[in-house]
Amino acid sequence: MDSFKVIENIRLSESTFRLRTERPNVPIKAGQCFSVGTKELGINREYSMYSAADDDFIDFLIREVEDGIVTPALGRCKPGDLVEIGGPYGEFCLPIQAIAEDSFVFIASGTGVAPFHSFIKSFPWLDYKLYHGIRHEDEKYESDDYEPSRYITAVSQPANGNGERITSVLSREQMNPESHYYLCGNRQMITDTVQILRERGVPGGRILMETFF
Amino acid sequence: MKVAISYPPIVNDQGQKAMVSQNRNVQFFQKPTYLLPVIHAQAATALDQAGHDVYWDDGNAQLKDYDKWLSDLVAWQPDVVVFESTTPVMKFYWKTSRQLKELLPSTTIVITGYHSMRRPEETLDESDIDVVLRSNNLDFVLLRLVNEMATNPFWRMTSDIEGLTIRTSETESRSTGNFIQVEPLDKTPLIDRDLVRWKDYAYENGNFLNTPGTYASSVVRDCMFGKCTFCRYNGPDLTFSMMSVERSLDEYQDLIENHGVKEIFDDSGVWYRGREARQFAQGIIDRGLHKKGCYFGINTRFEYLDEETIKLMAKANFRFVLLGFEAADDETLMRLNKGYQMEHVESCLTWMTKYGLHPHLTIMVGYYWQTREQLDLTVKTVKSLMYRGLARTLQVTICTPLDFTPYHQECIDQGILLTDDYDDHDMSKLIVTAPLPHDEYYKAIREIYSITFNPRFIARQIMFLGKMRKRDWQFLFTYSIRAIRRVRQHIFNLTRNEGKQTEAERVSVSA
Ligand SMILES: Cc1cc2nc3c(=O)[nH]c(=O)nc-3n(C[C@H](O)[C@H](O)[C@H](O)COP(=O)(O)OP(=O)(O)OC[C@H]3O[C@@H](n4cnc5c(N)ncnc54)[C@H](O)[C@@H]3O)c2cc1C
Ligand code: SF4
Repeated sequence: MDSFKVIENIRLSESTFRLRTERPNVPIKAGQCFSVGTKELGINREYSMYSAADDDFIDFLIREVEDGIVTPALGRCKPGDLVEIGGPYGEFCLPIQAIAEDSFVFIASGTGVAPFHSFIKSFPWLDYKLYHGIRHEDEKYESDDYEPSRYITAVSQPANGNGERITSVLSREQMNPESHYYLCGNRQMITDTVQILRERGVPGGRILMETFF
Repeated sequence: MKVAISYPPIVNDQGQKAMVSQNRNVQFFQKPTYLLPVIHAQAATALDQAGHDVYWDDGNAQLKDYDKWLSDLVAWQPDVVVFESTTPVMKFYWKTSRQLKELLPSTTIVITGYHSMRRPEETLDESDIDVVLRSNNLDFVLLRLVNEMATNPFWRMTSDIEGLTIRTSETESRSTGNFIQVEPLDKTPLIDRDLVRWKDYAYENGNFLNTPGTYASSVVRDCMFGKCTFCRYNGPDLTFSMMSVERSLDEYQDLIENHGVKEIFDDSGVWYRGREARQFAQGIIDRGLHKKGCYFGINTRFEYLDEETIKLMAKANFRFVLLGFEAADDETLMRLNKGYQMEHVESCLTWMTKYGLHPHLTIMVGYYWQTREQLDLTVKTVKSLMYRGLARTLQVTICTPLDFTPYHQECIDQGILLTDDYDDHDMSKLIVTAPLPHDEYYKAIREIYSITFNPRFIARQIMFLGKMRKRDWQFLFTYSIRAIRRVRQHIFNLTRNEGKQTEAERVSVSA
């Protein structure tokens, strides 16, 4: 773990911020995560990279958890502050040989969209569809980064009260068993989505998951 | 269906028994520790609750010899026998499966565990095993499989339960695809303690400060971190599942109030952190379970638990905390993906000991890159932590490539493995080329263990034990005897190959 300077820290929604730091001088693949913490806390948590693999900074998309420990501290960080970063870790990555030829379906809840944003920014020619389950409208974060026809959201607690879960949207969609399915976010969404994909004939070998909590 | 969940007694040429169970590195001990294989126990419970006839068949914990184990199993005439694999016992299982098939030709043999999971074809080629269950969520998958076997005579050809490699003929097999990585742990049953004869495991476990002790149904399956290269919980096809806090609390309450348990250990790779850790500790206090004379223990990693959480856990009567302290030098930590810093190791241990927890360090030596400086730094740091009373007990193992973890694969790719005999992966000796003569690593092990006999350390230990709430001298005595016995066995096992380095190893060392 080394210390890196915070470059900027921007609120993208009431509860979520984008933390930009200096980039560790190591090879990084889109989809990997880092351990991030502060010296004062002496503890850290894992965060998926939100930025493109070859950006000269690292972005993290972080939800501030009520009575959390690390997220409130990271949320308070200002440009010039130091954060401790270890990694990158993990293999929640795209198979290189498939990137140019195959299609991908990304299914996220909340900040689980982070690795998918990184994939899409790293490989702009990617043939993808992104399903994003969020609680409120303002959690679409930087939705301009996605082609509108490829980005589908489900808002569970909208202002008008007619909420819908991402799993309900998925159960109405056509599923191509040849696509690669990547699931990221909370366990409940992942468990429910796997069930839907299996019922639609998507083989287990085509499904990869990263659980956040 | 009649299903036997079987752990045959495996005895080596020194007359020592192997301890095999989930994510524990197999080690051979004269006087073994009996560890309840938690996920297999949940699988047994799930099968039993579904109406199958389950035979909990742990030959080790039931003190059987091999012949007695075999004859009892054959007499029971199971439809299905389930084993658990790991590298150093693979050859034993291949042989045992052939013997079993001769005696029970119509029985289906299923193997679980990380070695077979990573090499299913090898297992089927080398043995008479019928099914490789390639998932750590074996309680879910085994139940689906046995239910299907009961109703579908063509299951070998038609089953689409994910995570299996099934033998379809003497030479052919088929895979049913990747397993589901995240299963809802709230839907798998809590262990039926009587079914798995929990008392067989309640006393002979060196990590229990109090007895009878038991293992909880693990709250985290695989690992939330899951990135350490030497660990079985690391893989692109692995993430983690978690049980709800309330459910785990219910189990603890049942164990304490209905079974009289005095120590509960949760063997999850890494236990809850953050909010769940606090909710759990608070739940123990709210239910009054911290006042029932029962200690709680967990595995965690450095830099996961903060001071407030540790304080609350201590109040809730947590004691034994196992922490992987794999090395003290940055290069090794980086190569292992370990990601902790010495500064924070110190603060974590300071918080733990300040509030009365009992940190137990698990240390490793013998990495294929480990230099004199790196080894010395680890020994020096461990000594310093122990003498300053920042950790209470420790265990040292030789880092052994196992079960095709990334570290194992690295050793294979780099051509530095000194053996291709799986029996040699039993953690009793170094099996990789390394920068130092192997004896230097064995010496380091001896040196680390000798800390526990140092008067400075013993004085600290007595002060600590005297401070424990339970001022029971018989307990202090029994625990100390068990601890010393364990240290002596470890020293014997890990250093019996001292001075036996072969010519081939010497050549590769000096090369
Ligand atoms: C591999 C991996 C990658 C991760 N990547 C990200 C990421 O890119 N962005 C991110 O925000 N989090 C991510 N997380 C979760 C993150 O590591 C922490 O768990 C989270 O930030 C809470 O930390 P804390 O110390 O503030 O809260 P704690 O005191 O540790 O409390 C943890 C609790 O907060 C809740 N929680 C955790 N994460 C979230 C979340 N994202 N949204 C809503 N509730 C949550 C859960 O109930 C959890 O049990 C990731 C986790 C893993 C294992
Ligand atoms: S933290 Fe522990 S259980 Fe988790 S991957 Fe590392 S060694 Fe394995």
